[in-house]
Amino acid sequence: MTDTEILTAAEQPGANGAAHPAGQVAMVFDLNKCMGCQTCSVACKVLWTREEGEEHQWWMSVNTQPGLGTPKGWEQMGGGWKDGLPAAGHQPDRAEFGGGWEFNYDEVFYGGKGRSVHLQPRDTGDGTTRWGMNWDEDQGAGEYPNAYYFYLPRLCNHCSKPVCVTACPTGAMYKRAEDGAVLRDEEICQGSRFCMEACPYKKIYFNYVRNVAQHCILCFPRLEVGVAPTCARQCPGRLAFVGMLSDPDGPIHKLVEEWGVALPLHPEYGTEPNIFYVPPLAPYRLNDDMSIDEETPRIPPEYLESLFGPKVHDALQKLRSELERVRSGGTSEILDTLIVYRWSSLFGPFVTDPATLDRRPEKVAVELSPRGAARRDEEQ
Amino acid sequence: MEINQSALDSPDPSAIGWADLPEIAVRLSPVPLAAQPNAYIRAAWEGRPYGMVTEVKVRAARAADKLNVLLDWERPGAATGEFTDSAAVFFPPPGGNEPPVTIGTHDEPVTLWLWRDLLDIQTALDPARELLSTGPGRLRPRDRAFGASGDRSSAHGTPASIEAASSCQGSRWRLVLQGDLDTALSAGRMGVAIWDGSNDERAGIGAVSSDWIPLESGKDM
Repeated sequence: MTDTEILTAAEQPGANGAAHPAGQVAMVFDLNKCMGCQTCSVACKVLWTREEGEEHQWWMSVNTQPGLGTPKGWEQMGGGWKDGLPAAGHQPDRAEFGGGWEFNYDEVFYGGKGRSVHLQPRDTGDGTTRWGMNWDEDQGAGEYPNAYYFYLPRLCNHCSKPVCVTACPTGAMYKRAEDGAVLRDEEICQGSRFCMEACPYKKIYFNYVRNVAQHCILCFPRLEVGVAPTCARQCPGRLAFVGMLSDPDGPIHKLVEEWGVALPLHPEYGTEPNIFYVPPLAPYRLNDDMSIDEETPRIPPEYLESLFGPKVHDALQKLRSELERVRSGGTSEILDTLIVYRWSSLFGPFVTDPATLDRRPEKVAVELSPRGAARRDEEQ
Repeated sequence: MEINQSALDSPDPSAIGWADLPEIAVRLSPVPLAAQPNAYIRAAWEGRPYGMVTEVKVRAARAADKLNVLLDWERPGAATGEFTDSAAVFFPPPGGNEPPVTIGTHDEPVTLWLWRDLLDIQTALDPARELLSTGPGRLRPRDRAFGASGDRSSAHGTPASIEAASSCQGSRWRLVLQGDLDTALSAGRMGVAIWDGSNDERAGIGAVSSDWIPLESGKDM
């Protein structure tokens, strides 16, 4: 072992915060129900990333799989843990994220060219108009009649071994004890962006205007008053569960730990995500004569294994057997849970209706970076 | 290095008065990889050259209760990527024993005046700030710094105002950092660090002076 392979206590996975938080808030997304409507993405965008420098940021995003996603080709950018050590990664640049475009509204609407010029992003010469958050929507893979795709909502995984926290030189990033949210104190962040390199999921953005990195905060101000994160609460497909991972009576624990039908994305990255996915079932393939090949699923199992690891096969088999039982007249607690007969059953302890809250502004001085306030309060 | 009184009351790298002040050439060397603040940075930069600026010319003068430091260096390349050039001077606590290459420790944090070449869109940011450094890349605002025992503390007081002015002609930076004279004279020594933005240098990945530059109050001019 060389000097560079020795991790100090502060560098160990899960250090610089709560290695074992008092409670870990986790989420499960049922990919069989996601229709790619981007309501979650827009809800998050409207709530958290409307300020200057955040135009290109989509803390919650839904991409079509198979696909290059956002940032473009993120699965090939490295980072994460390898053999217990942090692995070098690529810092995605603005062109790889794309988006945040400015459009030629003046020209089209007020310049007298409404019949000759169409609305389009202004090319700023930095490559940002050649990719975007949902650029390869619905492309998928395969050939007719066996083409396939599915949608994958992604946000910060609020990992149990957050390598972004390890990579941060200033200690601005930390894992919060009470709910396991991975947060950043923007008043301390110096914009070095090692977190962006180290995160293997590439869900950390950079605010070039303010010189700070930014990412999903798990809607912690909502969690603190019992309200579910906005991406989950606004989801019209009832596919986003929120709750405590360790709650034995909650759907998260059952889906992940008890039934094993919800899996982390790319578990081989080693960060132990706390966002889980029920993998997608798909129709069987069609033969050339259009008869059904009941032996071959349309989505190649090896592709799903590349996303969710080898446990995906057991998870899919479990789901298929549950479906078969119900079709045979039986019942299934797993499917009843995934159907979500009662909307509120998605949100565990976070069922408070935000409309019932007293939302008057607090009498505090306006701060440049309010998201740093949580860390400051914790330190005092 | 003598800190002489001068008429350089505002930071101006093109002021004629700088020519009358003595100049010293300070050798810089890369901050050792082993001193980097975490295993990720050590892994990411192992085998990759950094600390590309190898020399900086330094002049200093006092005006009233302010210290002006002129840094003059050749930039290795135009910073057109994600990171911009930056530079700093830093001052150890009185009686400190650590060499400048540490850029501070938990027990001996240094006061660091950091300048960044801002992007055009960063109009709301100050190009220079006073920070407390407890090691390479371990920078924090003074009022958010880790205490000597590792606890978070506000015992280090509020940040002082730092002014900066810079010019880049061709490949040569001239930068003036202006801050509190007492901070410098009570330290009695100064270190210098330069980051080459074209090489993605930032945090602890940069070049630092190998030796302290002694500071003493000089004559009035």
